[in-house]
Amino acid sequence: MMRFLRFLLLAVVFLAGPWQIRAADSNRADLVTAILSEDLDHQIEIIKKLSDADEPIVTQVLAAWRLSEVYIYEQDDKKIPFLLDPQLNSDGEAKGLRIIDGSVINDAEGKPIWFASFDLVPAENNSKLRIAIKATLDFFSLSDPNPKVRRDATIKLGQSQNLDYIPNFEAKLKKETDKETIRALKEAIALTQLVDEKKEARIAGLKKLGELRSINSMSFLQDFLKKTKEDTKVDRADERKQAESTIKIIEGYIAMGNFAGTSFRGLSTAAVLLIAALGLAITFGLMGVINMAHGEIMAVGAYTAFVTQNLFKSWFGVSGGKFDMYFLVAIVLSFITAALVGLILERGVIRFLYKRPLESLLATWGVSLVLQQIFRSVFGAANVQVGSPSWLSGSFVVHDVLFAYNRIFVIVFAVSIVYGTYLLLTKTSLGLQIRAVMQNRNMASCIGVRTERVNMMTFAFGSGLAGMAGACMSQLANVGPSLGQNYIVDCFMIVVLGGVGSLGGTVSASLGVGVTNQVLEPWLGAVLGKILVLSGIILFLQWRPAGIFATKSRSLDG
Amino acid sequence: MTRFLNKKESLILAIVSFLILVVLPCLNAFVPKESFFHVSDFTINVYGKYLCYAVLALGVNLLWGYTGLLSLGQCLFFALGGYALGMHLMLMIGKLGQYQKDIPDFMVFLEFETKYAETGGLPPHWMPFRSIWFAVLMVIVVPAVVAYIFGFLAFRSRIKGVYFSILSQALTYAACLMFFRNDFTFGGNNGLTDFKFILGADINTPETKRWLFIASGVLLLSVYLLCRWLTSTKFGLIQRAIRDSENRVLFSGYATAHFKLFVFVLSAVICAVGGALYVPQVGIINPSEMSTDKSLEAVVWCAVGGRSTLIGPMIGAISVNALKSWATRAFAEQWLFMLGGMFIFVVLFMPNGIVGLPAQLKALKARYIDRKKSGEEPAPVDATEPAPATKSAD
Repeated sequence: MMRFLRFLLLAVVFLAGPWQIRAADSNRADLVTAILSEDLDHQIEIIKKLSDADEPIVTQVLAAWRLSEVYIYEQDDKKIPFLLDPQLNSDGEAKGLRIIDGSVINDAEGKPIWFASFDLVPAENNSKLRIAIKATLDFFSLSDPNPKVRRDATIKLGQSQNLDYIPNFEAKLKKETDKETIRALKEAIALTQLVDEKKEARIAGLKKLGELRSINSMSFLQDFLKKTKEDTKVDRADERKQAESTIKIIEGYIAMGNFAGTSFRGLSTAAVLLIAALGLAITFGLMGVINMAHGEIMAVGAYTAFVTQNLFKSWFGVSGGKFDMYFLVAIVLSFITAALVGLILERGVIRFLYKRPLESLLATWGVSLVLQQIFRSVFGAANVQVGSPSWLSGSFVVHDVLFAYNRIFVIVFAVSIVYGTYLLLTKTSLGLQIRAVMQNRNMASCIGVRTERVNMMTFAFGSGLAGMAGACMSQLANVGPSLGQNYIVDCFMIVVLGGVGSLGGTVSASLGVGVTNQVLEPWLGAVLGKILVLSGIILFLQWRPAGIFATKSRSLDG
Repeated sequence: MTRFLNKKESLILAIVSFLILVVLPCLNAFVPKESFFHVSDFTINVYGKYLCYAVLALGVNLLWGYTGLLSLGQCLFFALGGYALGMHLMLMIGKLGQYQKDIPDFMVFLEFETKYAETGGLPPHWMPFRSIWFAVLMVIVVPAVVAYIFGFLAFRSRIKGVYFSILSQALTYAACLMFFRNDFTFGGNNGLTDFKFILGADINTPETKRWLFIASGVLLLSVYLLCRWLTSTKFGLIQRAIRDSENRVLFSGYATAHFKLFVFVLSAVICAVGGALYVPQVGIINPSEMSTDKSLEAVVWCAVGGRSTLIGPMIGAISVNALKSWATRAFAEQWLFMLGGMFIFVVLFMPNGIVGLPAQLKALKARYIDRKKSGEEPAPVDATEPAPATKSAD
C-alpha cells in the first residue's frame, strides 16, 4: 500500500514540478515510512539517510517527532501521520496536516477534522531514536547558510567523537568554502579520529590537531593522554609521545595568543589613558594649571556625544548610514563644547590663579562639583546610554586572538590626536607661542607675545582634547556624572610620571601604565593591580622625581 | 601656658571651653526637655561630630596653612584612626551581632571561619584589638607610620607643591581601593558598624554620647593648645619660613625635609585621633570616609574659616558642616552647587577666609573713602590679591 502511494505521489510530482519538489516529496515519504515503521534499526537508518536532505519540512517533522508532537490518525485502516496546524480555533483545537503532502485531513464529508492535542496518540519515539534525530538535525546545521551556525555545529559534532560522522564531515569538507568552517571540519575529523580503533588513525589525528593548533581539543587531548598512561594492556608509548608533543605545541600557541591578546589590550588601555591624559598634559604639563575639573570636562564631551546621538536619532531614525555617522559629528562637537567650557573656566576662574597653583586646585575642584551637579540635574544621576555606531561594534579574530573594533579605533584615535597635537605645537605659530610662554612667560610677553590670549587658547585646546577623550570614552565606559572622577587620579599620575611638560613622557607613561595594568590584571584582579601600579609610580618618582622625561632647566624648582 | 597665651586670649579661651565642656553638656543632662534652654541628645551628638571635624581641620591647617603643604590625604589618616578604634568596638559587640557569633558579622558573612580556622575566624592582626589600650596605641602608631613612610619618600626626593598634593591624592585613592576589598579584612564596602559598647558603656545612650562630646571638646582644646604652642616656638617660625620660601630656609642650613616630615607625621596623628573620636559618635566607618573628596572638603573648611590662623579652621569646620547639615536637608539637590560655589568664591574673593573678612572689609572701606575724597576714577578693586600664605618659593 505504502509503496503504491509513494509511487503515485512520485509520479504526480514528477510530472508537475521541478526536481527539488520531487526530492522534497521523496523526503516526506521517507519520513512517513520512518514514523510508521515498527523496526527501530530501519527507522534509524532512514533518519541517518535524511541527514543529507536539508528541507524545512524534514527539520520540522524531525524536531516535532523528537518532542512527541507527531500524531497518527487512523482512517479506513490506514495510519496517517500528521502534524497539528499551529493555528488553533476557539476550543484550542487544530486541523491536522498530513506529513505526506501537507494537506488537511478531512472527514468523510470532506470537512476538516479538528484535533485536540491532549487526546491524540503521538508517534512513538525512544532515547535511541531521539539521539539519531538530534544528530541528523545537527547535520542540517552543517549546511546552514550562516557560516557561524555551520562552524558551531561542526565543533559540537566533532566533540561528540562519533566515528560514524567522519564520512559526513568529509563530504561537507569538499563542498565547504568558508575558511573557518573548513578548519572546524578538519578539527572535528581529527578529534573524532582519536577514538578510532586503528592506531595509525589515532596518531594521524593527534598530528593533525597539533598542526591545526586546536585550542578547543585541549581537554580531549589531556583525557587521551591520561588514558594512554593508564592503559596497561597495550603499549601506547608512541601515541603518548605524540599526544604530549601535540599538547606542547598547542600550549605554546595559547601562550603566544595570550601574549598577543595582552599586548593588544594593554595597548588599547594605554590609548584610553593617553587620550584622557593628553588634555591634562597640555593644561597641567604646559601651563602648570592644576585643573581638577579635567575629568568633568571629559564628561562634557561624553554628554555632548549623548546629545548628538539623540539628535541624530530624532532626525534620521536609528537605522541607516546617516545615524552611524553621528559619532564623527559628535567627536567634533564635543571638542567644540568642551573647548568653550574650558574657555569660560579660564576666563572666569583660572586666569586669576596662575601664580597660585594650590589655589587653582581648590577652585577647579569647586568647579568640578558644580559641573557634576549640573550633569545630575540635566541628565539625571543614572548613567546614560551612548550606543556604538555599527562600524565600531563587533570584532575580528586572527589566530584565536580577538580584536575588537572599538579598541582598534581607540588606538588609531590616540595616535592621530597625539600626532595632531605634536604638529600643532611644533609646526604652527600658535604652537611656537605656547612653547615660548611655557618656557618664560615674562620674556615672551616682552617680545610681544600676547600671553593672555595664548593662555586662553592653550587652555581651550587642552579642554577640547579632554572633550574628545570623553566622546571616545562614551564608546568604552559608562557615561554618568562621575565619569570624570574615575579617570582624574590616573591622568594626573600619568602626567607626573611622564614628566611635566613633555608630550613624549605622557605617551610613554601611559604605555607603561596601560600595559602593566593589563599584565597584572589576570594575576591580581583589577583593583589590586591598580593599587600596585599607583604604589609603583610613587616609588618610581623616588628614582626620577621629575618623571621619565624631565624638562631640563637651571631654575631651582625646575 | 601663659608664655604663649596672653591674658585676654586666656580669658576668652577659658570662657569658650567652659561653655563647650560644661554648660552644653549640663544643658543637655539637667535641663528638662520642655525648657527653651534644653539641648537635645541629637544636637549634642551632631556638635560632637563637628568638634572632631574641627580637630581634622586643625591637622590640615598645621600642614597647609603653616607649612604650605597641601595634602589631599589627611582624611586617610582620619579614617585610619577611625578604623583602629572601630576594630576594637567591633570586637566589643560580642555575641550581640546578627549571627550571634564571637566574631563580627561581616567576618561570618565573608566566611572567615574557614579562612582563618586556627583563630576561630578572627584574622590574626585583629586579635590584639580586644584591648582598648592597644587600639588607642594603634590609633596613633598606624597613621604615624604610614605618614612617616610616605612623607620620608616624598620629601627625600623633594616632591613639593602641587606634586605633593597629587601624590597624596594617589596614596589616598590607592588606600581607598584597598579598603573597599573584602579580603582586606576590614569589612570592605560596608566598613565597620553596629557598635554596641565603648569602655563597657552602652554606646547609644545619651549619657555616653555626652561623655564622647566632652571628650571631643577636651581633645579639640588640647590640640588647639598644642598647635598654639608649636606655632609660637622657633620651630613654628621655621615652619612658616618653609611655607614662604623653602629654598631660602634650605640655604640657611636647615634640613627642611626633616621639619616637613615631623609636621606631616604630627598632623597625621592629630587627624587620626580626631577620627578615632568621630567613629563612636557616628557609629560607622567605611572606605568612602577616606576618599579624596573628603580631604578636599577639609581643606575648604580651612579656607573658609581662614587658614594660617588657628581659630579660622575651627570656625570653618563647624560653620561649613552646620551649613551642610541644614542645606542637605533643605535643598539636597543644590548642596553640591553651594559647596562648589563656596570653593570658587572663597579662593577668588576671600583669600583669608571668615577670620580675614573684617580686615578685608576695612581695606575696601578705606579705598571707598579715598575714592570719594579724591573724586577720581576708582582703582580696580583687586580682591584677588594673593594670600600671604602661599606665595610660591621664588
